[in-house]
Amino acid sequence: MAQDDPQPLVTFERVCKSFGRRAEESVLVDVDLDVGRGELVAIIGPSGCGKSTVLNLVAGLTDVTSGSVRVADPEVRSAYVFQNPRLLPWRDVQANVEFSLEQIGLSRKDIRDRADEALDLVHLGQHKDKYPHELSGGMQQRAALARGLALDPGLLLLDEPFGALDALTRGYLQEELLGIVRRFQTTTLLVTHDIDEALLLADRLAVMSSRPARIRQIFELPFGPDRALDKVVAHPEFLPLRTEIRELLRPEVEATDPGSASTDASQATAAGTRRGSRARAGTAQ
Amino acid sequence: MSSLIGSPPETGATTPTAVPARQGLSAGRARTARRGLRVLAAVVVLGVAWALIAPNYPSFVFPTPADVWASFTRAVERGVWVEQVIATLGHLGSAFAIVLVAGLPLGILIGRSIIAEDLSRVVLVFFQTVPTVVLIALALAIYGISDESVIGVTVAGSITYFLLNVIQGTRAIDRDLVDMARAYHANETTIMRTVVVPSVIPYFLAGARITLGVAWQITLFSEYLMGSAGIGFNVNTAISLLDTSTVFMWGLSVVALTLLVEYGLFRPVERRLTRHMRRT
Ligand SMILES: Nc1ncnc2c1ncn2[C@@H]1O[C@H](COP(=O)(O)OP(=O)(O)OP(=O)(O)O)[C@@H](O)[C@H]1O
Ligand SMILES: [Mg+2]
Repeated sequence: MAQDDPQPLVTFERVCKSFGRRAEESVLVDVDLDVGRGELVAIIGPSGCGKSTVLNLVAGLTDVTSGSVRVADPEVRSAYVFQNPRLLPWRDVQANVEFSLEQIGLSRKDIRDRADEALDLVHLGQHKDKYPHELSGGMQQRAALARGLALDPGLLLLDEPFGALDALTRGYLQEELLGIVRRFQTTTLLVTHDIDEALLLADRLAVMSSRPARIRQIFELPFGPDRALDKVVAHPEFLPLRTEIRELLRPEVEATDPGSASTDASQATAAGTRRGSRARAGTAQ
Repeated sequence: MSSLIGSPPETGATTPTAVPARQGLSAGRARTARRGLRVLAAVVVLGVAWALIAPNYPSFVFPTPADVWASFTRAVERGVWVEQVIATLGHLGSAFAIVLVAGLPLGILIGRSIIAEDLSRVVLVFFQTVPTVVLIALALAIYGISDESVIGVTVAGSITYFLLNVIQGTRAIDRDLVDMARAYHANETTIMRTVVVPSVIPYFLAGARITLGVAWQITLFSEYLMGSAGIGFNVNTAISLLDTSTVFMWGLSVVALTLLVEYGLFRPVERRLTRHMRRT
């Protein structure tokens, strides 16, 4: 598929990122990663390892310490669905979705129509005129997703976009996302904690180590471009891959155990991981 | 500033009036009515007490309600009341408008830029701590007795209260929202309009309310000491003639005007600007 394209859309070259001056404060170390045009790359890794940081680098919200992050086509329209919804509290749902569209110079009517369409897609059509504080966490997350998808982005950054959703809605939106990405050849970088989700959605899957994080391994997934949930699960390679990735992540999770970890941040987040919950770093962002 | 019914003004900006969500509309209304009646009862009791106690004193010490009322009707009939009230509201309104219009951008600038903060620190501390009498003395030296002096002193004496609130609001802006706007390629002007200013609005309102209360005091005080018109100036004239009824009359007039501004202007504006927070 498109990952063979000579020039990938996003290129990480020996990227190091540190928020402090000392070496032990490093978050990312020597990260190399390509995202080809039209490709969906998933990133999975222990909590607090730097997955959100990777997306922030692509979005230009933070700078590398060394190395480089390049987006080959600077004019590409990008959308970033953050780990937390980040809706504007003073705008209702409709106006929040319109926010992204307002930035690209459409007519008032186009903005409205495309926001409506995106809201219907995430099943929020009934709740357009509610304010964020009147929505559940999952509804807020869907509104944030709609804000991103409404743009018809060429580059889509998704940070655990389905984390706050029930299984049914998650399944439906995963299929929708797959459809959109396939139809519009949207280059997508997806951060997730969910191995099954990664296997279903991604063309390639990058597994990160704990902090200071490197990319441990990149998997080319064999499920083909026409994959769907039931087919992927039935695929003979599904279970072996899933086991392999789980094994790969296991020592990583233990490495962030408070007993052996050196940073406060990883301690705080490791606690959540060990409890087996969908760990969310209190320290993120 | 004074608020007789409902929640205290500081919290009025963010907390919807405390009617339990499940309570029906009519039940809520009945409760409001009951509370209103209690307030009214207190006013009546105080009025009666006043009417009973005052006759024991000479009128220039403690005038009766009738004296004050007579003074009020006289002032209204001669047109003095409206004229002087307009003069004071003119002073107050001009000063308040200057504070809001200059203070909002200035506060946002100081809140966002460390350089601006450092440069302005000395000035802020000065205006925060300098006694109003010194400002009045300076104004007298520069402008003499005039409207400009009154307005200038009111601005100088009250703007810090407003600035500090706006600065605090600017610092409290959610970085995540600014980053969100950046990620969607919003330019700085758009970020200012869609993220920064709306974030600051609750602080703007809180600051405006405190400033208005302070500005009332300073305006009247300045009129008293260096005005050529206005309620403060008239209080000065009246007391030098030992016309205590008129002093009382102006005092009560200011209370009424303050309530009028609060409920007639401030609350409706506030309700409109914080619409998104008060749906239940
Ligand atoms: N602005 C910042 N200043 C200092 N440290 C930061 C900052 N942002 C992130 N970090 C640190 O960088 C590390 C990686 O953070 P990041 O949010 O990228 O993790 P993550 O992999 O997305 O975690 P999670 O899966 O829990 O969301 C964390 O240990 C965090 O403490
Ligand atoms: Mg994260």
